[in-house]
Amino acid sequence: MGWIFFSHKSNSGEIARRRLKQVLVSDQSGCSPGLIEGIREELIGVLSRYMELDSGRVDIGLTWMECVGTKTPMAALSARIPIRRFTNMRNESCFLTINSKTTTIV
Amino acid sequence: MSKVIVITSGKGGVGKTTTTANIGTGLALLGFRTVLIDTDIGLRNLDVVMGLENRIIYNLVDVVEGNCRMKQALIKDKRYPNLYLLPSAQTRDKTAVNPGQMCKLTDSLKEDFDYILLDCPAGIEQGFQNAIAGADRALVVTTPEVSAIRDADRIIGLLEAADMREVDLVVNRIRMDMVRRGDMMSIDDVADILAVNIIGAVPDDEDIVVSTNQGEPLVDTDSLAGQAFLNICKRLSGEEIPLLDLAPQRGILLRLSDFLKRA
Repeated sequence: MGWIFFSHKSNSGEIARRRLKQVLVSDQSGCSPGLIEGIREELIGVLSRYMELDSGRVDIGLTWMECVGTKTPMAALSARIPIRRFTNMRNESCFLTINSKTTTIV
Repeated sequence: MSKVIVITSGKGGVGKTTTTANIGTGLALLGFRTVLIDTDIGLRNLDVVMGLENRIIYNLVDVVEGNCRMKQALIKDKRYPNLYLLPSAQTRDKTAVNPGQMCKLTDSLKEDFDYILLDCPAGIEQGFQNAIAGADRALVVTTPEVSAIRDADRIIGLLEAADMREVDLVVNRIRMDMVRRGDMMSIDDVADILAVNIIGAVPDDEDIVVSTNQGEPLVDTDSLAGQAFLNICKRLSGEEIPLLDLAPQRGILLRLSDFLKRA
């Protein structure tokens, strides 16, 4: 309905929130953002041997994870990797849990 | 029992000095004997924000070096009977004093004042270490911007590492119109990211610029920012006051437009 008033709902506040969360985890864990980029490229390279990915939508980043037995949360690598199709499905070596069309490794 | 509170932020330009001036004036208005200390040696500004720049004779470094007595350096604000300013030195640098000397200085003021507020310089170097040395409580000022919040997070970490007992956040320059259309992080977003108590949210208000131009804190005016600062003072003194509703009054057409956009 916004078009009636020549306005649109934008979301730069949400973008700021997401970027900030990423940068704080990398500040606090001492992991440079460039390292995550490197991991992302390598991960895409490895996974592409088994499946066709939508590489433009791969979402890899650091988050915090509460762990039983530790007081402070641990940094965790979180990845959401959209799969178009499996090209060379090798079930015995596939350690990923498949959740509809999205694979999550934590 | 006097309280020593440092106002800090990491990032420059988020409103530390304005916050110090207004909270200090507000506490004095509430009847507390209050002294403001500008610890930004070499870049003093609290004096001009308070409108007391023409009355400076001695400064913080003079007191520390024994060139004058504390009483000679303290400037009494004639508008508020309970308010004093200890200005910083303009021609020296941060290495002119050390944390030990700052602790001694704040301790020597505890007998005469209920609140001792320290305006901290930007950065995390010696100026910051000096400012937090004698403090038992910290107010971290931030704005709802990525850069300011990142620095606030770093500062909160450093304050915790320095065993600061109480750390609270002041979110400055909130623009509710931008929050409403999704172009600014909300107070809740900031609280969620930094995981620290929010002691106040101050709206972005043109009156702040006017008040700084005039050298008159706006905490005793009826502007929205003034009310927000006064509420922070009351919360500091232990009163429980809910966060101010910062949403400006909107006409029926704008509210209708909001409603339709949500639909």
